[in-house]
Amino acid sequence: MSEPYRHAFPIPPPGSADPTQHTWESAFRTHSVELCEYVLRFVGSAGIAEDLVHDLFLSLWDSRGRRGGMDLTRSYLYVAARNRALKYLRHRRVAAAWIDRAAREETPTAASPEDLYLRRELADAVARAIAELPARCREVFVLRRQQHLSYHEIAARVGVSLGTVKSQMWRATVKLKGKLAPYLFIL
Amino acid sequence: MFKDADLLRLIEGDCSPEEAAAIQAWVAADPRRGELLDQLRAVWRLTGGSTREWDIPESHERSERGRPALELVPPRRRWWTAPWATAIAAAAIAVLVVGSLRVFFPRPVGGPHAYATARGQLSSLTLPDGSRVLLGADTRLRVPRDFGSRTRTLELEGEAYFVVEYDAKRPFIVRTAHGSTQDLGTEFAVRAYRQEPAVEVVVAEGRVALRGLRGADPVLVTLHPRERAVLDSSGGAMVRREVSLAHYLAWTRGALMFDDAPLARVTAQLERWYDLEIETDDPALAHEQITISFMTKSADEAVKALAQVLDVRATRRGRVVRFVSLRSRH
Repeated sequence: MSEPYRHAFPIPPPGSADPTQHTWESAFRTHSVELCEYVLRFVGSAGIAEDLVHDLFLSLWDSRGRRGGMDLTRSYLYVAARNRALKYLRHRRVAAAWIDRAAREETPTAASPEDLYLRRELADAVARAIAELPARCREVFVLRRQQHLSYHEIAARVGVSLGTVKSQMWRATVKLKGKLAPYLFIL
Repeated sequence: MFKDADLLRLIEGDCSPEEAAAIQAWVAADPRRGELLDQLRAVWRLTGGSTREWDIPESHERSERGRPALELVPPRRRWWTAPWATAIAAAAIAVLVVGSLRVFFPRPVGGPHAYATARGQLSSLTLPDGSRVLLGADTRLRVPRDFGSRTRTLELEGEAYFVVEYDAKRPFIVRTAHGSTQDLGTEFAVRAYRQEPAVEVVVAEGRVALRGLRGADPVLVTLHPRERAVLDSSGGAMVRREVSLAHYLAWTRGALMFDDAPLARVTAQLERWYDLEIETDDPALAHEQITISFMTKSADEAVKALAQVLDVRATRRGRVVRFVSLRSRH
């Protein structure tokens, strides 16, 4: 796994009042996580996704004067992130077939499919499906998906080997895929 | 070299750039792996908020002017993960915001209009009053000239989903061969195909009143969300409560779902949606009750899936599909 490395964001020299900073910060706060999620679908490696999104915001900061009053809207950010991700894939000579596939990724729509009438039903179905998992499977899955523990941490917590944790995770995923089959297309 | 379980590493981003590229090449080599990847991503999205915890470098510096440090916003959890993560009583759904179907709805000009979809086609439209309709396959909708003046009446033959603004002064009425519905501020689906002996109504939001054949008939039944009624030509209505909306409204999202449905109904729907003619050689097949879902745009895949469930062999020539029994059913 690649190590995240730290940049420092540039700080405007004291004495300068920067009206665009608020916009940039607000965009960063609101969208950086979802952009990482999106870019991850292209690049498959978390460290790279983080770097690309970080680079994007750096570059947007640098170019803030040139952009004038143009808003860092959600759709603008997604297009910019997508372009960076595709550029990265091409540069790394990732399999052409994968790049084609990635290029067909749709930008998530602003309002996720939170259609009112499906919400409660989905929540029930997901809760039930997880509750029906075998005990150890469920434990591992919840620790991972809810608490985002690392696999090593889960292994230590549950008291099994790393390999067992990973195979339980896979087992849980496959079972849930079966149970939630009618809902998968909703996304 | 790689196996299906490695797809999780790609989804979680739990690999180096080189490993990611290798797994991606492996996925790209076989379209089935790509499909599986998409399904697993869907499971991931359903069962949690973010895929992982993100670590975007922050600036911890503060200038002398007290500029606040940037902090990464914690991953926004999808609200439906809350119930299973921490036991929370299900919140009452906020009342009656008319939902949005994110499709472009063209506005019709005044005058009587007939809208029709062919087999295999869906269409959406906006009515002069702002209500929206999604038409299923092989469906006809007639909007009379006086729509919106005293009433908002439509005639439907086929299947449609309505999103309607309630207006007490101008009731919204959908007439079908077997009965009519009147909305009381709602989203609902009506199904009234000519070949079927009844009209079916499913309510997603709000309330819908169901009446017999003649509009002035007394209201037979009022339906609430997640209720489904079947009204046949004799005027009898059968109501089921707490039905699965995902199931009955799957077609609005391009999927067909059947739960213990008679084969004739399944094939009829497939014929409309994929523009096929399906024949079976075995009359005993007609008694089969089927549970199956179709989420594919490919007619061949749909036919193959059904043939597998029925344990028949399917041959297709153009639009005509024949099912030949592989085993005796008697």
